[in-house]
Amino acid sequence: MRRPALLVAALALLAPLAVSAAQGPATGSLPHGGTYTVVRDNTLASAAIDLWFRAPGDGYDDAQPGISRLAATAAAAATLESGRSLVNLVRDAGGRIAINVYPDLVDISASVPASAARRVVAAMSAAYFAPAIDDDSLKIARTDVAVLSAQQHYSPDDLLHDALFAQLFASGPAHYAPIPGDLSDFKDITLAQVQAFAKRAFRSANATFALAGNVDTSLFDAVTAGAPGSPDGPILSSPAPAPVDKTITAAVSGEGVAWTGPPISDERAATAMDFIADYLFRDGTGVVSKALDPTGDSYVNGQFITLHDPGVMLVTIGGSKPADVEASVLAAIAKLEQPLDPATFAAAREAFMYHLAADTQVPSAQADNLGWYTAEGNGSYAPSDASSTYWKAARSLDPQFVASVVKKYLAHPVVVRLITPTSKESTS
Amino acid sequence: MKLRAAAVAAFLVLLSAASANAAGVGAVPVVTRTDGVTLITQQDAAAPLVHVVYVVRAGLDRQSLAQNGIAALTAQTILDTPANGVQLSDAIAAAGGSISFIVDPGDVRFEIEALPQDADKVLALARQALGAPAIDAPTVHAARELLITRIAENQQIALQVGLDMLSSSLATSANAGLPEFGLPASLAQLGPSDVRAFYATYYRRGGSYVSAAGRIDALAAGSLDQLGMVLPEGSTTAVSVKLPKLVGASRQLVAQRDIAAPWLIAQYPAPAVASKDYGPMLVLASFMQRTLADMADVPGVVSETYASRAVGAVYQYEDVQPGLVLYVNGGIGNPNRSFETALSIANILATTKLEGSIDEFKAMAAGDFISSTNTLEARAWLAVVYDENGAQPDYITRTLDAIEQTTPADLQRVAREYLSNPTIALVVPREDS
Repeated sequence: MRRPALLVAALALLAPLAVSAAQGPATGSLPHGGTYTVVRDNTLASAAIDLWFRAPGDGYDDAQPGISRLAATAAAAATLESGRSLVNLVRDAGGRIAINVYPDLVDISASVPASAARRVVAAMSAAYFAPAIDDDSLKIARTDVAVLSAQQHYSPDDLLHDALFAQLFASGPAHYAPIPGDLSDFKDITLAQVQAFAKRAFRSANATFALAGNVDTSLFDAVTAGAPGSPDGPILSSPAPAPVDKTITAAVSGEGVAWTGPPISDERAATAMDFIADYLFRDGTGVVSKALDPTGDSYVNGQFITLHDPGVMLVTIGGSKPADVEASVLAAIAKLEQPLDPATFAAAREAFMYHLAADTQVPSAQADNLGWYTAEGNGSYAPSDASSTYWKAARSLDPQFVASVVKKYLAHPVVVRLITPTSKESTS
Repeated sequence: MKLRAAAVAAFLVLLSAASANAAGVGAVPVVTRTDGVTLITQQDAAAPLVHVVYVVRAGLDRQSLAQNGIAALTAQTILDTPANGVQLSDAIAAAGGSISFIVDPGDVRFEIEALPQDADKVLALARQALGAPAIDAPTVHAARELLITRIAENQQIALQVGLDMLSSSLATSANAGLPEFGLPASLAQLGPSDVRAFYATYYRRGGSYVSAAGRIDALAAGSLDQLGMVLPEGSTTAVSVKLPKLVGASRQLVAQRDIAAPWLIAQYPAPAVASKDYGPMLVLASFMQRTLADMADVPGVVSETYASRAVGAVYQYEDVQPGLVLYVNGGIGNPNRSFETALSIANILATTKLEGSIDEFKAMAAGDFISSTNTLEARAWLAVVYDENGAQPDYITRTLDAIEQTTPADLQRVAREYLSNPTIALVVPREDS
């Protein structure tokens, strides 16, 4: 259960909170609307600063795919009162900045030396809570999105991810790629539309700051922009009643398999899906991954994407024999419909919990994790926090329950195949 | 017992404290025992794991040329030693941790990591196998097969192929420049008796390190000490293998592999961490990195792109023979232009003092270094690197100070001293591929 925001805010005024991973993150309210979640490690010299918003990737009218990416990038590139943009300020401080856009969320992520954290919190909040997007910054954003879109045509994992979501969701932002592959409609998005989107989506009240590393809550004194209000609710998409397989001609080949899964609120089932992905697909240790010829060109990536409702289990396959790998993926999942023997299960669960901790040990991963789970509506379930309900759910897993989750959610996959014009010709 | 770094009290507190708080950035307690084992601890109460690096002087420089791969084969045999009915690495995974190894020119290091509550159990498994590995035919055979697979995997990574070639050209002793895992042909000649002899000779306490980071407070008292005592006492020396230097005008190494596009890699010698040139070289590497990325990337973009990731400058300060590596992936279009410009800039820097501020590159160097110290593995290993080089292992403070004190004149001096004569590796697609 999360602590009352008002109490935490009052404590924050008295003194910076000294928290550690063992105690769980400090949560509270920003000075001018919005929330924060902070996990502190003062033995590190770095700070990860993530700013999260709930925002539809295709716009509030479902008609402008790519607008959230455009607006988020333009705001980061816009000149602030200091005469520099957020992007330049972070880089000049020796840090790195990334803009991550999902169908239902926007995340601006900076990793900087701890000595620069206050400046970055101030600049990030100014850039988004009072966006100053103009023609120049929009031009930069358009170029940026065009480059990323062109790159994506050569990334089978990205193409499959977007294509599988398009099949799983009939409408809503999850139906559309956050970075459009086809820029024809995207080019018509105007400055006024981007400004309006940014003004609505990037309200401080709709924001969550997620901080990790050598940070504390006193950094939020640097937030001067914003206005109180209520956050938007989770942004939902409509699952397709009967998703159908699809074959797409693309610049690269690959194959993807996906299923809709439990919502974030069903913690035990969602954790079981993470366990299944780890047990089968984790690089180097997963049952399916390990069975691939390490000197061959085949690969498989699998993950459960925890979303408000529903989540998605997504597996992408590459290499010259995707059909063989797909068969082994489906066979491995079918096998899990029978409970694992207790010893195998106990070993796999312990390994899974170690992987959780190993994957979220650095500040950037912690801020990303805390922000994502908070924005999806269940911050107290973030796996990067060892005291969270996630770890209780992980410890409670048993072979029978995992088998029941497999039967419930992983029976009917949707498959997308990417074929290149060459392979299409040779097939025909 | 010889105690060092005026940190004994802090160290003892760390070993016994069940609820030690985070110590803050900088302080790193070090104790070197009379048997030659050095213990380094970095308690982090906020970390989710305990990480231990165990360094043994049984690396490439303990091999003869005929034993190419024996260091890796011995280490892999330890990881494949049966424990709880399975291989050690699987037993440790089932216990909530991981173990792996890296063979360096001067040592082999075992990276052991675990959840805090499982750490004692994991360390006990590791200790058991390190102290009494199963050096029998089936275990050595399994280890050899795995290494041959890893060699094949590495051969598909063009940058790794190039770095391996360059590493052998920098090595002061021929054996220290051998490939990390040996070669399939040389491994095929090595059997249990070779592994047994190598283990018996070189797995000694002298010069070893036990460097831990993270939730050390979760370990039972004396747990790290016990790891340090798992091997017999004694010290070893490197096998000196001198080969006549190749004489020739060209400093280019060329390899063909099954890759889609060529890679161009240049390596310059570089200073060690204790050198006065360390800070300037970090800043110089940042300058080169920024310059290469700016040349490769689309002007004005905000996001990191394939093009900016296809080029890079890496200062390998942690290596026994440090180097500065510049690389260009030919998949980005015209790699020659980027590569030639990078080499020209290196030459110009050596002859011309930079005009204007270098603050941008100093900030970038500091940021990149700080970012590289976030994992527990990096923290545990960097403390060893600094201590080995005779520097106090408060690596963050020392490095940030060295960067801060760098001037444009230092950059020019360091460029002149180190950037004049690169060795170049070209990894190109096979002619028939």
